[in-house]
Amino acid sequence: MQNKTPNRSANPPMLAPSPPDDIACGALQRARGKAHVAFAAPSGGETARLVDLYQSGCAKIRLPKARGERQAVLLNTAGGIAGGDRLDYSATWGAGARAVVTSQAAERIYRSLGPAGEVANRLVVEDDAHAVWLPQETIVFNEARLERRLEADLSGSARLLAVEAVVLGRAAMGESVERLGFRDRWRVRRDGRLVFADDTRLCGDARAILSGPACGGGATAFATIVEVGEGVEARLDAARAILVARRADGLSCGASAWGGLLVVRLLSTDARVLRDVIMGFLQDWRGTDLPRVWHC
Amino acid sequence: MTATITTITLTVRTTMSDASLYRLLAWMSPSFPVGAYTYSHGLEWAVEEGTVTDAATLKAWVSDVLRYGSGRSDAILLARAFEAFSAGDLHACREIAELSAALQPSKERHLEASAQGAAFVTALEAAWPTGDAEAAERLAALKQADGPARISTWTYCIAVGIHCAAQEVDLAQAVSAYLHAFAANLVSAAVRSVPLGQSDGQRVIAGLEATIADVAAEALAAPLDDVGSACFLADISSQLHETQYTRLFRS
Repeated sequence: MQNKTPNRSANPPMLAPSPPDDIACGALQRARGKAHVAFAAPSGGETARLVDLYQSGCAKIRLPKARGERQAVLLNTAGGIAGGDRLDYSATWGAGARAVVTSQAAERIYRSLGPAGEVANRLVVEDDAHAVWLPQETIVFNEARLERRLEADLSGSARLLAVEAVVLGRAAMGESVERLGFRDRWRVRRDGRLVFADDTRLCGDARAILSGPACGGGATAFATIVEVGEGVEARLDAARAILVARRADGLSCGASAWGGLLVVRLLSTDARVLRDVIMGFLQDWRGTDLPRVWHC
Repeated sequence: MTATITTITLTVRTTMSDASLYRLLAWMSPSFPVGAYTYSHGLEWAVEEGTVTDAATLKAWVSDVLRYGSGRSDAILLARAFEAFSAGDLHACREIAELSAALQPSKERHLEASAQGAAFVTALEAAWPTGDAEAAERLAALKQADGPARISTWTYCIAVGIHCAAQEVDLAQAVSAYLHAFAANLVSAAVRSVPLGQSDGQRVIAGLEATIADVAAEALAAPLDDVGSACFLADISSQLHETQYTRLFRS
């Protein structure tokens, strides 16, 4: 299915003049996609078994055969997100299930002269399940607008490891992101109680904002890694040691842990360095290789 | 007759405003016992690694945090909690408080927000009882153990917002006073840790006047959905501060 992906970067539809009203917006054929996958407790040698799969519009889910952990790979066949597009992904880890949800490729957010693109990710992690949410990075182009939400509901002793990485433009092409509307909202609840919230808000001249000494110090790529699970504080020293071992020029990063949370923030002037450090961190932290799509 | 009514209105307004100013001067003063002087919001690490070295770099750092980071977000949370309390919406108070506590990016920032918040609540309970019976009842509901509206973690901005609402403090003044106190505390931390001269510190505070006015105006109008930060380095600084070898501050 991915072979028929229309390539939006070759012919970006949102370069058209600003739509005068909502009716005209409809004519721009906004992409819609909705996909859901659910895993349940393992049977046999697997870490989880598939119990539900739904996909519509441009949102697809592939289920590659992989040794070790069960995997689901999200795929946006629209080839990126433009203004007004809306994608809804959801994943459920039933009690005792252990599986990784990742994405086929970096997501691209194109210029929008009108509304923001919207992405809603919803995770449900039941008691004793271990959810790993590892989408590849999001690349935002100049004048892009995105509103993204990650809502995770954990029960009992569920664990969640989640990552989001964002890259501003394509540095190799000398692209500078000077107008942006980017908001990324994380809400993680356990048994209904909000245990972690994070709101990234990068609106306006992103390059200028990120040049500030308390914002980005000139960075053009940033990421957050969070693990939520009882006792994760005991592994803080291990997390810090991994980050120290992966030191690189132009990279700033730190880790902290408290109350069943581990939070890692990373910033880099080089998107490739950021990706390498994230991959190295996740491999060392989890003690297992990343899903194969990360190496493509 | 009309003239008499006007006079009375003005008198009442002046009295209200005087009480509001008096309370804010007391509660937002560096001598109010919340221990503000023990927190640097990660600034001590920014000094240690050489990002903040003088008045100009200090002003840039604090200005970022005010405009794009926790200064702006906390001002929005304060304002929305104030309004929720004034409207008697205790469920919303609890939700905003829960959000504020969950938004912390590090252990030390969580401590900074929650320890100052708890100390603020304790100090007001001890010395500043509210004269308004309805407000006192609402406050009691927010603090009632096992109550449906119980706020389990009082962050500093939420404690200030809700108690200002309970004690007839003007919201716009409260937001400005909170942002000023936050900025002045960071400047004071830099004066001690860089170190900087007192005049340099005052120049930075004077130079942030317009920024604080802008952020306060934005916070008064912004919906709760508008909270958000781009201050990744301030977050990382607070994380790295946890392992800083020599430190004066708890954050």
